[in-house]
Order: sequence, then C-alpha cells, then structure tokens
Amino acid sequence: MADEQQLFKVTIDNITVEVEPGTTILMAARKIGGDVTPPAMCFYSKLQGSGGKCRTCLVEVSKGSEKDPRPMPKLVASCRTTVMDGMEVKNITSAKVPEARAGVVEFLLLNHPLDCPICDQAGECHLQDLGYEHGKEGTRYEFSRRTFEKEDIGPYIQLHMTRCILCYRCTYVAAQLTDNRVHGVLDRGDHAEISTYISKAISNDFSGNMIDVCPVGALTDKTFRFKNRVWFTKPVSAHRNCDKCCGKVTIWNRGDEVLRVTARKDEWGEVESYDGKPGWICNTCRFDKKKMSDWTIEGPANINRHSVISTNHYVGAQKPAEFLPELMGGRNPKMLMDIHDVSDVNDPKVDLSLLPGPATGATFTKTKEQ
Amino acid sequence: MGRKLLLEKAHVENIRYFDVYRREGGYRSVEKALKSMAPDAVTEEVKKAGLRGRGGAGFPAGMKWSFLAKPEGVPRHLVVNADESEPGTFKDRYLMEFLPHILIEGMIVASFALGSNNSYIYIRGEYWWIVDILEQAIEEARSNGFLGKNILGTGFDCEIYVHRGAGAYICGEETALIESLEGKRGNPRIKPPFPAIKGVWDRPTVVNNVETICAVVPIINEGGDEYAKIGVGKSTGTKLISACGNINKPGVYEIDMTISVEEFIYSDEYCGGIPNGKRLKACIPGGSSVPILPANLLLKTAKGETRMMNYESLSDGGFATGTMMGSGGFIVLDEDQCVVKNTYTLARFYRHESCGQCSPCREGTGWMEKLLLRLEKGQGKMSDIDLLWDIQRKIEGNTICPLGDAAAWPVAAAIRHFRDEFEWHVLNPDEAVKRNYGLAHYADPLEIAATV
Repeated sequence: MADEQQLFKVTIDNITVEVEPGTTILMAARKIGGDVTPPAMCFYSKLQGSGGKCRTCLVEVSKGSEKDPRPMPKLVASCRTTVMDGMEVKNITSAKVPEARAGVVEFLLLNHPLDCPICDQAGECHLQDLGYEHGKEGTRYEFSRRTFEKEDIGPYIQLHMTRCILCYRCTYVAAQLTDNRVHGVLDRGDHAEISTYISKAISNDFSGNMIDVCPVGALTDKTFRFKNRVWFTKPVSAHRNCDKCCGKVTIWNRGDEVLRVTARKDEWGEVESYDGKPGWICNTCRFDKKKMSDWTIEGPANINRHSVISTNHYVGAQKPAEFLPELMGGRNPKMLMDIHDVSDVNDPKVDLSLLPGPATGATFTKTKEQ
Repeated sequence: MGRKLLLEKAHVENIRYFDVYRREGGYRSVEKALKSMAPDAVTEEVKKAGLRGRGGAGFPAGMKWSFLAKPEGVPRHLVVNADESEPGTFKDRYLMEFLPHILIEGMIVASFALGSNNSYIYIRGEYWWIVDILEQAIEEARSNGFLGKNILGTGFDCEIYVHRGAGAYICGEETALIESLEGKRGNPRIKPPFPAIKGVWDRPTVVNNVETICAVVPIINEGGDEYAKIGVGKSTGTKLISACGNINKPGVYEIDMTISVEEFIYSDEYCGGIPNGKRLKACIPGGSSVPILPANLLLKTAKGETRMMNYESLSDGGFATGTMMGSGGFIVLDEDQCVVKNTYTLARFYRHESCGQCSPCREGTGWMEKLLLRLEKGQGKMSDIDLLWDIQRKIEGNTICPLGDAAAWPVAAAIRHFRDEFEWHVLNPDEAVKRNYGLAHYADPLEIAATV
C-alpha cells in the first residue's frame, strides 16, 4: 500500500521495538515478550475499555517522545498509555517500578482471603503468579479481611465475591458479549461488589466467558467446582461444529472423563484469536458437552511453561530466550558459579524430555564419555 | 479592607431575584460580551486576567478554555462543577444560595466564549434546596430574554440545565462528574483523552468550578487587565475562603490575596481570632485534601518570610514545609485539638468516598483508616507510623484520579509535622484516650497576635 503507516520506535528496558501508532506500551512490551512485559490483572486486550484499574502494569516513562523528551512525572499505567515515537520506557530496569508494583500487589492481596487450598482457580490464578513474581514475602495487614456472602448467579456460574479484585473484566464481557447486561458493580470503595441487580440469575449464551476472563477465583464454573485440581487434569485441544461460537476449546480430562471445557488461552492468559476474532465459546460448548464423543480431539494443548499446569508436560519444551544481555546493553550478567560445572544432572546436553524413561546415572556418564 | 468583586452585593435584600440583581447592575457582562465581543476575545480576556481555577488545582482557566477542541459539527459543552464536597469548603454553596444569578450570568458569558448551547450545572445531591433556587433563577433569566433562543437578539442560543448528583465526593473529579452526568456510575475516566477533547457524550467539554465561572463576570465588566491588577503575582483577582474550625467568626470571606495568613486568622474583619484565648496549633488552609501545617510554618515560611494568603506563598517550600491554596476551605485547629484524631476523621472520609475502581486507593484508604483508628485509641505500635508513611507513599501518584493523592497528603503531612504526637499516642496509651497532646513546640511563635 502506498500510504504505509509510519511505525513508532519505542524502547522498553533498552530493547527497541517498532509498533504501529496507537499501540499501548503494554502491547508493545508483549511484542518483545519475556520479563520486560509488565503484568496485567485488569487489562484484557480483547475487551474494549478494560485496563487502567489494577495498577500492576505501572511503568516509568523516562523519555516522552522524540519531539518532547521530558519524562512523565508519575508512573503510568502501561495498558492505557499509547506509545510515542522515540519513547523510552523503564520497567524492570526502573528503580521505582518494582517497589510501586510490590505495593500494588500488597494492596490487591490485602482483602483477598488467600484460600488457595480450596480455590478452584489455584494453579491457573493470575493473582498467585503476580504474588510470587512481584510481591513481598508477607503482608503487613493486621486487621480482619473484608468478606462477602456467597451469591448465586445462575445454574452455571458461582460468584465468590470475597476473592474478587474488582478488575471489571466480567462487566466488560457482560456489556460487550452478551445482549442483556444484568450484572455490574454495586456500592463503592472497599465494599464495592460485582453483583446482579438484585440477586438475579445470569442466563445468556456467552455468559460463561466471564469465568475465562476472571483473573482470580471469584467466578468459577459450577460444573467443575471441587471436581479436581487443575494440575491433575490433562488439557487437550479439541473442537466441534458449533453454530453459535467458533467451537475451538481446551478440554480438561481425567482419564476419559471431560471435567471442564474452556476457551483456548494464549501465552498472556487471554482467549486465543482466530482470523482476528477472539475465540469466545458459548455456554452449550462450555457446560453441556461433557462427553469425549462430543469432541474431535486435536492433541495435547500447548500450555505455557510459566504455568504450574505445564509441570511434567515435556512436549515441545523450549528454552526461554535469553534477554538479559540485550537488556543490559550487551553486557553478560556476571555469573557467580555455573551449576553445570559441578553437577552432571543439569548437563544441558541431555534433553530429558527425549528419554524414554526416567534419567539414571548411566545417562550422564554416557554423555561424558562421548 | 480588601476589594470585593463577587460578594459585593451579597447583602442587598432580595439579590436572589432577577429584578433586584438586574437593578444592581447584573447581566451587564452578558450584554457587553454578546453584543460587542467575539467568543475568542472573551477567552482572551480571561487569559489576560490570569484567572486560576478555584476548584483546588489552580489551573489557569483561560488556558483550559483555549485547549477546547473545536471540530466542525460537534456540539461543545460547558459543565459547572457544583459538587462541592470537600470537608471544610462551602464557598460555592454561599454563592449559589445568595447570588444564583451571578453564576447564571457567568455561565452565559462562558458558554458564549466556548460555543456551548447546552450548559450544565452538576450540583451535589445534598444541596437539594439550592437546586430550586438555581432553577428559579434560570427561569427568571429565560423569561427576561437572557436564556433560550436568540439571546438579546444576538443569535446566540443557550440553555442551562441543573443536574443533581447522588451524594458522591468522587463526582467532583471532572471525569467522574462527566460519567455521572451521562447517567453512569461515577467512576473517573483514564486520562488522556482529556475532557477538552472527549468529555460529555464524547464531545469537547470544559468543566469549571462555580467560583471560577462567577469570576468571569467581573473580568468582563472590568476588563482582564484591571482584574489582573488585583492580587499578587500569578494569584490574580479575589478568592473566596470558607473559614471554619476554632475561630470566632466562621464564614465565607472574600480576600484579594494580598493579606497574610496571620491577618486572616486574627483580624476582626475576617476570622476574628481563636475563641477563649486559646493558641493556634495547626491549620489546613485549603480544604481537607491539602497538607496540614503547624502554626510556626503556617505564619512564616521556612525562609522566614510572612506567609500570605495566595497560591504561591501557601505552596512555598513544597510539601516539605508548605501546603496548598486548594479550594479555600480554611480549617483552624486550636491547642486542644488532636491531630491524630483529625487525621483519622479525614482518612475515614476518604475511605468512604473512594470509588473502588483502582486498587491502591480502594484498599489503601481503608488500611490507613484502620491504622489511624488504632493509633487514636492508643492501641497502636511504633511501626504503625512508619507503615502509614509507606502506605501513603504507595498510594500517591499511583492512582487513576487525584482522590488517591488527596487521601495520602493529609496523612503524610500529619506524620511529617506531628510525628511526636503520633509517638505520644503509642507511648502513653492510657493518657491518649483521656486528654490531648496539646501544643508542645508548635506554639504560636508570636507574642502578641497581630490585629489590623
């Protein structure tokens, strides 16, 4: 095309990437990937208007743009700040960001019940990941936590408001995916709650997607509740012909039993897109098709290495790209000790995933001799 | 005695009604602006006057007006922010109750300058009786040809609507106000886009405080240059101060920003000193959100200069030793007041008024309130004070709207200046519930209070 758009150059943690004008800092960072991508709890690229609320994606803008090089005075929410040409952003290289982010994590966990041992979301919970990656080891909060009554919002979805972090994602699903929006946020401040007006059931063909977008265990699938821990189930990609939705799903099996059906997620925990359209699935696929014979199996689902669910799934295991030298301007991090010098077990020449059975001492001596 | 521009006629009997107001010289500015000036010339006049927003931030009003986007075929709007909910601030209430026509007059002129044919007054829900006063004033103005179609035969149409809020402090934040005006939940929007580009119903909008709009009337009547001569430096014109707390004469005063804080507190023309011969301990000079200052820093700046009642002098020294003009809610605390309790009361207010949209404010305000209550009751720990400091630092600047900052600043300033009072609460728990800390070294540095 003749009128090709001028691409903006943006530098995030010393790594430069070219993006289209109008891209947010977060989406530019996702293009780079890896650790320079700020975490996002409330932003969901497939939901219009989401983001800006949880403040975990705060970054420091050390240079506004080529034209106006002044830095931004405050940390900005990267999910809602668009890039300018020549912008320089500091995420993990910033002195202020990790502390501010740890503060946000502490705030988010302040009233969270931390009932992970009995929560169905455990293992695929974004708040857990966030807490491990960016939080401090403990809270300084010494008061009783806020609690809510459990609310029943229909036959398929359980609302457990106590766990909610008010990311507003589900209200955007309700507003943008379903026709009659019946649920939203009631009250304000620390007693604000997601609710239907008043205690109505949500019945809509696409309402189940709010379970997929919920970053915590506030909205869970009633057909899967307390059936199994997610890491004991086997995620399998499958599809069926559905006249309402794309029909492309991940089914979570135990043996031949289909315990749960969800939409397929990409590496950022969001629903996959097909031909530019988000692959939301309908309630029939999600809640009613619980037999293997309903589905055409495609093969094991590709689960992000980052997830606890991927433990023991070796297929297609990839070493993550080394980004530190680039981030540090070409210098290599100084290594105190290379573990491979003293331990054969971690010999990188042996790909454990290719072994037919468990590795033994013989495996390593053999490679040594070669 | 200082010059009065807004409240000059406030004590004329029945000034509330159109006939009296008109007889006293009202609506002259509408005639002048609509008949002899171009809209841009009005904006230029306001710029020349150096009028700063009276809502709290002090952003130059003329500049704000000139930022307004003017795309073809898209209506523009003027919204007057009458959601005056800041504890300690009640100046807009006074203006609207006693001089509703000055607001209507200012709005017609401002609407003309901005090209807004439908202007709105967003008034807080608790001011229910003022809604009737304003609507009556609008009706009178309309029947006299100052509102409606073809005002004074100039071809300019303007309608003013009064919209009642439902009792939320957050709706005083301009984007939350716009959301609420649209009929949605009053959650602040993420900026940019700013209201000047996308405001009410995605149309360019200017949101101004009641007092700012009222000040347009004398600016047009007298001319921007004349207006700029009143006051000092960048603090031009007059400012309404709503004084309350431990003073002899609480009320709304119009000052021309050339008097000192000391004169304002002790002069009989203004607050009239502190009752019962007590001494000054501290003061919150600009509404509950601004940092509290102890007496010694209030009357004199860190450099030893006399602190004046204007934007620059009050903020002299930054937050370390200064404060802010804010919205002009002047709260005076005498030697018998407890700063910890005062801070707790403010923290409780902000916890109650947080919209709950972004996490630092939603969770942090509640946490600060709980810690302060514990400290106030003498059940706190020494580490709680440092913890409070850390929490406020993590809220400030990390939120969508300024409510987070407004909640953090009073706590920060109280700890910064009155740390030993907090520590006394921890060390003397039994005494802390029985009596107040008193003055200590915040004592009034002046032997004899100056009166003019």
